[in-house]
Amino acid sequence: MNFTPLDWAIVGIYLLLSVTVGVLARKYVGSVADYLVAGRELGTYLGIATLAATEIGTITFMYNAEFGYRYGFAAFLPALISGVVMIVVGRTGIVIARFREMKLMTVPEFFEKKYSRGLRLLTGILVAVGGILNMGVFLKIEGEFLTIVSGINIKYLVAVMTAILLLELTYTVVGGMVAVVVTDFVQYALLSIATILVSIFAVYHAGWANMVEKVAHTLGSAGFNPLENPKFGWSFLFWQILLWFSVHTCWQTTAMRMFSTRSPETSKKVMTWTGFIFLGRGMLPMIWGIAALTLFGTGPLLAGSPLPVVNGHTLAPIDAMPAMLAQILGPGIKGIVVAGMLAATMSVNSSYLLGWSAVISQDIVLPLRQIMRKPQLSSRRQIFVNRLANLFVSLFLMFWGLYYTPPGAVYLYLNITGTIFLAGAFACVLGGLYWKKASTTGGYLAMILGATGAIVPFFFFHWSENVTGFAAFGLAAGGLLLGSFLKPRQFDANPAGGAA
Amino acid sequence: MSRWLYFWVANLILAGLTFVLITVVVIVRGIGDLKEMFRRLTKGESERG
Repeated sequence: MNFTPLDWAIVGIYLLLSVTVGVLARKYVGSVADYLVAGRELGTYLGIATLAATEIGTITFMYNAEFGYRYGFAAFLPALISGVVMIVVGRTGIVIARFREMKLMTVPEFFEKKYSRGLRLLTGILVAVGGILNMGVFLKIEGEFLTIVSGINIKYLVAVMTAILLLELTYTVVGGMVAVVVTDFVQYALLSIATILVSIFAVYHAGWANMVEKVAHTLGSAGFNPLENPKFGWSFLFWQILLWFSVHTCWQTTAMRMFSTRSPETSKKVMTWTGFIFLGRGMLPMIWGIAALTLFGTGPLLAGSPLPVVNGHTLAPIDAMPAMLAQILGPGIKGIVVAGMLAATMSVNSSYLLGWSAVISQDIVLPLRQIMRKPQLSSRRQIFVNRLANLFVSLFLMFWGLYYTPPGAVYLYLNITGTIFLAGAFACVLGGLYWKKASTTGGYLAMILGATGAIVPFFFFHWSENVTGFAAFGLAAGGLLLGSFLKPRQFDANPAGGAA
Repeated sequence: MSRWLYFWVANLILAGLTFVLITVVVIVRGIGDLKEMFRRLTKGESERG
């Protein structure tokens, strides 16, 4: 066991505080808008805290550290792209400001306003499938992190996963977005302190000069120049730019923060400043990965980089960073860092649970009821359906997390599962907002071809992620253009729509 | 190689400094935002729907 009683006490106090604060927030939930978008009351600073906390989890630290471990400094490229693209989206307000003006609660809701109810339903299904598959690997990897750092026996992994999930569910189901925002604020403070502490400790223990030398010796110039690295290159660069534009505008959990802000202007400020945090969100954990490579990268080569060897045991590259933390952090600091990582885990998972269950309840169940001509649900019944969806998503996460292991770098698996709906959604959203001729037929083709382009090459043909991702975005854009020209938009058929 | 290294180091320093700075500002000023959100939700002033 790596944990001292002091470490356990710090973690225990954090968990108690977090769940209590979340449950207390219940009294502020009056309507479905309060439950899903916190009554659209987020100011700039609270918005930055909740958006950053939502998109920085233990899973983020793990996959970025793995990326740094495998690809050295060249891994910084996607981190740089994600931050810069976010700043551009925030400064221009492209998509996000218009979304906020429309007072949406979910991304697929836009598809009914601009296209048709049927397309909203299809988008809702694809968003839910892609999003839940994406989140499916979170619990297992987070459980691995906690067991390795704390020294809990690996046979308790399932118990750790279940405990994490139950704690998150407790306040998410009860308090909805208000609870998530309040806990996000506390969790943001803790995870930021942990991030800064670990960065200092990692560089101090590995030594900057040793880190540069290890990358140069192991990976050569490909460890610095992403265009020379066979995993990256120009196709990766363009795919990542497209992907991050779509993530920052159409990713349900990010978009929900934009919908929750007080005004379109606030949403732009939140996005811009969080963009700077995104630079650190990627690069700092990548530095931890490079430090772990320096300290433990002595095993046999796997895809060009040596496997980590810790105390005579050969580990997977993704487990190198937590193994390093278990060794370099002292008593007390380890407790603070693990509490920070737990905070990161809970803020991400609670937001994602709420995000995907909101899509199931608002964009699958409600449109289906309307198609079946059933009466509209009251606000209270909608919240109840959302809570049921929360439970359903949680159960799926447990089973998928236990039985599926991504074949390559986790970062790339997450990118591809996100692309299942992002490729089509991004094309449809851009078309719906900025191209008058975008039609419902084009929307259907974009969603179907985008999803097919992501699923079939990756899961069945095992093509590289770069080609798969690029193909999915290309097919989605092509589908929107082709469908819109083959069957043009009927301007009077959908009074709620109309491209502006 | 060294040019790429300098480029990444510059990015890393920018990323680290802005991360710390924004974190401090957000923690200090976010408390005001939290209080304002609770006040408006309690009074029912929020933009419903």
